[in-house]
Amino acid sequence: MNISYNWLKKYITLPDSITPEIVAEKLKLSTVEVENIIRQGDGLHNIVVGKVLKADKHPNADKLKLCLVDVGKESLQIVCGGSNVADGMLVAVAKVGAKVHWHGEKDLVEIVPTKIRDVDSYGMMCGGSEIGLEQMFPAKGEKEILDFTELKFKPGTELKKALGLDDVVLEIDNKSLSNRPDLWGHYGIAREVSVLFPRELKNYETKEIIPGKEIKLKVDVDDIKLCPRYMAVVVDGIKIGPSPLWLQQSLSAVGLRSINNVVDITNYIMYDLGQPLHAFDANNLKTKNKNSKTIIVRTAKPEEDFKLLDEKVIKLTENDLVIADEEKPIALAGVMGGFDSGISDSTTTIIFESANFEPVNIRKTALRYDSRTDSSARFEKSLDPNMTSDALKKAVEMILDFCPEAKVVSNIVDEKNFHLATGPIQTSVGDICKKIGIDLDKKEIIGILTRLGFEVKEKGKDGLSVKIPTWRATKDISMAEDLAEEIGRIYGYDKIESILPSFEIAPPEKNELRDLEHRLRNILSKELAYDEVYNYSFISDAQIERLGEDKTKYLELDNPLSKEKPYLRRELLPNVLENVQKNMENFDQVNIFEIGKIYLAELAGPRALSNNDELLPRQDSVLTIVNYSKKGQSGFFPVRLALEKIMADLKTDFLIEAPKFVKNFAHPGRVGEIFIDGKMVGMIFEINPLTAKKWDLNERVGVLEINLNDLLDILKEKNPFTYTSISEFPTVERDLAFTVDKNISHQEIISKIKDVYPLLKSAELFDVYEGEHVKAGDKSMAYRFIFGSSERTLNTGEVDEVMGKISNILKEKFKAEMRG
Amino acid sequence: MQEKLQQLKNEALPAIISVKTAEELESLENKYLGRKNGELTELMKGLKDFNPEEKKNFGQILNEIKKELEESINKKREELNNAGFAEQITKEKIDLSQPCLPKKESGHIHPSSIVQKQLEDLFTSMGFMVLDSSELESDYYNFEAINIPPTHPARESQDTFYIKNHENWLMRTHTSANQVRAMEKYGAPLRMITPGRCFRNESTDARHEHTFYQMEGVVIDKNINFGHMKAVLETVAKNLFGPETKVRLRPKFYPFVEPGVNGEVTCLLCGGKGCSVCKHTGWMEIFGAGMIHPNVLNYGGLDPKVYSGFAFGFGLTRLVMLKYGIDDVRLLQSGDLRFVKQF
Repeated sequence: MNISYNWLKKYITLPDSITPEIVAEKLKLSTVEVENIIRQGDGLHNIVVGKVLKADKHPNADKLKLCLVDVGKESLQIVCGGSNVADGMLVAVAKVGAKVHWHGEKDLVEIVPTKIRDVDSYGMMCGGSEIGLEQMFPAKGEKEILDFTELKFKPGTELKKALGLDDVVLEIDNKSLSNRPDLWGHYGIAREVSVLFPRELKNYETKEIIPGKEIKLKVDVDDIKLCPRYMAVVVDGIKIGPSPLWLQQSLSAVGLRSINNVVDITNYIMYDLGQPLHAFDANNLKTKNKNSKTIIVRTAKPEEDFKLLDEKVIKLTENDLVIADEEKPIALAGVMGGFDSGISDSTTTIIFESANFEPVNIRKTALRYDSRTDSSARFEKSLDPNMTSDALKKAVEMILDFCPEAKVVSNIVDEKNFHLATGPIQTSVGDICKKIGIDLDKKEIIGILTRLGFEVKEKGKDGLSVKIPTWRATKDISMAEDLAEEIGRIYGYDKIESILPSFEIAPPEKNELRDLEHRLRNILSKELAYDEVYNYSFISDAQIERLGEDKTKYLELDNPLSKEKPYLRRELLPNVLENVQKNMENFDQVNIFEIGKIYLAELAGPRALSNNDELLPRQDSVLTIVNYSKKGQSGFFPVRLALEKIMADLKTDFLIEAPKFVKNFAHPGRVGEIFIDGKMVGMIFEINPLTAKKWDLNERVGVLEINLNDLLDILKEKNPFTYTSISEFPTVERDLAFTVDKNISHQEIISKIKDVYPLLKSAELFDVYEGEHVKAGDKSMAYRFIFGSSERTLNTGEVDEVMGKISNILKEKFKAEMRG
Repeated sequence: MQEKLQQLKNEALPAIISVKTAEELESLENKYLGRKNGELTELMKGLKDFNPEEKKNFGQILNEIKKELEESINKKREELNNAGFAEQITKEKIDLSQPCLPKKESGHIHPSSIVQKQLEDLFTSMGFMVLDSSELESDYYNFEAINIPPTHPARESQDTFYIKNHENWLMRTHTSANQVRAMEKYGAPLRMITPGRCFRNESTDARHEHTFYQMEGVVIDKNINFGHMKAVLETVAKNLFGPETKVRLRPKFYPFVEPGVNGEVTCLLCGGKGCSVCKHTGWMEIFGAGMIHPNVLNYGGLDPKVYSGFAFGFGLTRLVMLKYGIDDVRLLQSGDLRFVKQF
């Protein structure tokens, strides 16, 4: 919303030492967000009123005129292409040095002496769009220049002065006003300024309306909840015409276009008091009796067609409140008038409406038809119903002033049924000071509240009984905390002393899941050179299909942003695979990981409410890493390395076992479930080549998925890691190589020989080989065994014996053949 | 004999000094001092043929000459050795600018994780718990329990993602959704932060994202006031942006606080002078905050007559963008390694 500084000054006297900048700064710190300060007429430097002394045809061009223009102290020769230029016309002359939007273009051009078709020209006669005045003076035809002849300006006057463009406009962010219905007009802002500086606020003066008897006006409010107050009056003898210049200037300052005297009055009062008004052409209301007018405030009939003032035709619903005559709607209440009952140049009788509507319904209706207007924006903030009376009086006063023949011809209708909770709120000086952390005396607190319009009664030594002014009572203020805010912000948040609160010395409870996540990030990035990615929580139909998963298991958004990705991820994999695919354009190798939440509807998560047993879906934190290389070194083993490093860091042993059921997207021969202490924590696999191709990935794709909540639960159960004492006796190393059927796993071999001999300290696989010199279907494996005792030095004989036993087990259990 | 000795010495010493290579030096050493046929060795062997007095006399001279020759040879040897090293060292000069080859890749942590960790560490050091909370949240905790009434515009589907077939489930629109959960679980006194992912149903462009990160903070105890909130926010801002940072609080409405403020810090780029990033105001809006609304305390099971507190919220994503000068928010969730590998 734009606030005109000149307009504000109607209600409050501010000395020159308080500049608009100072006012804006105070408002920013205590009340609302002032986004910009615009000084009107800043762009009109070196532009003056000129009088065309003579306009002759240009000697070398048909469409140009050669003019002599009186600009006060001198006369300038100017070549002009304006279609309306004529002898005696008063015009806007941009002198040399002025800057204009040449032919309405965006960038400014500086005027310099020039030759146009071989004739000297010392300036330019401007059109409205060339100097930012198109709103104030809309052009009627193309190539028209501004014509001030009727305004009788004196040639040579600075245009800025002639037009009264000496105003300063404060641009206020509407969002910062959302909870202050009282600030949607100049009077409300003036009230705030009067408190902040402080200065006296002038009363809002209105004249009583003298009712007429010619027309009986009747208003039926069907739904008093949706329309707590409706005031209206009929005025006859209207002559539609332009508004006086001061009104045009006021509207222009706040960014509104002047339309005609009646519409301008309604807009002016909306920006003055914050109360939207509407004017109907009374003769367009269908009525049975010539001397009566009936207005019905009702909800619309379903499917009722209605043409809005902006000519949009909408189909109403029974949730919309409309203003209707005896036949049909004439306005969408609080949002926009109807096309058929609008004010036209031939209007002679009007009905002014000054009403109050229920905010939520107004907002919903405005949204429904994509018709948020200045009016609906105000009503949806919960306006004070008491305002309608001043607004109506002001409107009548203005129209009677503008149209001397105009006359009120009806009774004044005031249908009202509302109650405002104006308190009083019981609080105390001590309570207010304690909430803010300041030490203010009673007098100061009562002073601030009183200037804001509160009525304060002292109760006992410290107590205060505070009555809320009606303009703050609709939703803004209702409890003692609200009063503390009023005191705090007017006193000044910057003046409140900062004191750190004191607490017991106690370490905060740890978030072990968060710690685990950060730890894994470090291992994966620093040790294994994986890059971390973040993806959205949503996936697409197509992605689920590519995985070969069942769509019905996925939770779905009711209102996705794009129809494309409506499902909530149950695994991070599909988006991470998409990352791999996209990065292949720039990289040969992609090693990435993501840590994020998945959403599993079938598992119980946190409570949805504090007082019943409804549970939300389980939302575990999951780590997914993917390894891919164009050069083909990617796949299972690189991600197994990552798993080994992670588990080594966590000091945890693990097992990988082939799953009973293989998911469609996993390679059936290269997939395992990861177990720690018999509990599954994740999966490690290569993507099924058929699946990988769907993401254009032709090499092996290694994937590791770990459920971090599950992992953490297991880690919490484990005994803390302790060191093993170092034996003072030497260990013995022996290597053993053999060939065996390639389907025999390392794990099977280890499980069979591990417990053979207590002195076998470790058995490490250090080579696996298939191919030349090894029978097809077999593989060669080489182990390094380490033997040792903490009590004595082992002798060769006993180690030989165990090695023999191991060889025998390998031969018997696995048909292994020992190699050289 | 004495003459012979003097002659040998006069011949040997200059020869040693003029030697050029280690091999020559070795053959000279052999020539004079060699165990088998060394000239000096031979003369020593011949001592046995002299009488005792001569033996003693010549023996002494022989030993002196031997020592002199040995010293000279050793000195020369060291000289030759050093010269050899010097040559080797000159030859071994390397290109210092050449990186280690083959290159070893490093991994990179996402900038949001980095900033989040820094904030978690900061708040942990101030005694705050770091809490996790549901991303898929109920209407109750996201709205109702923090005093956002059913008619509030934020509840409309223009702003909130709802879950199909579960009309009171949604994707949390702010980390404030954890305020009441935390109060229920921990009661008071309470100091906690909740960093996490939030969702808003709005179209994405360089400045808007439907998925972003916030960090909520809550402090509750007896006698907590506005001045405490101001002090904590100032401490945090100075820690994040430097000791010179100033904070200013301005009124702003949030349903779950009263009074509510929006917190600005002196612009990180211009230090408060005014630049294009701060729209020439010198200030940047960084957080929202306020004294917790009595209704919210009631929902959390805390008596507002006994307890009071404040809450604050940072746009974590915005902090990340400011810190690193990121001009397009969509990069953060693009998975583009050209972006991630910079951090």
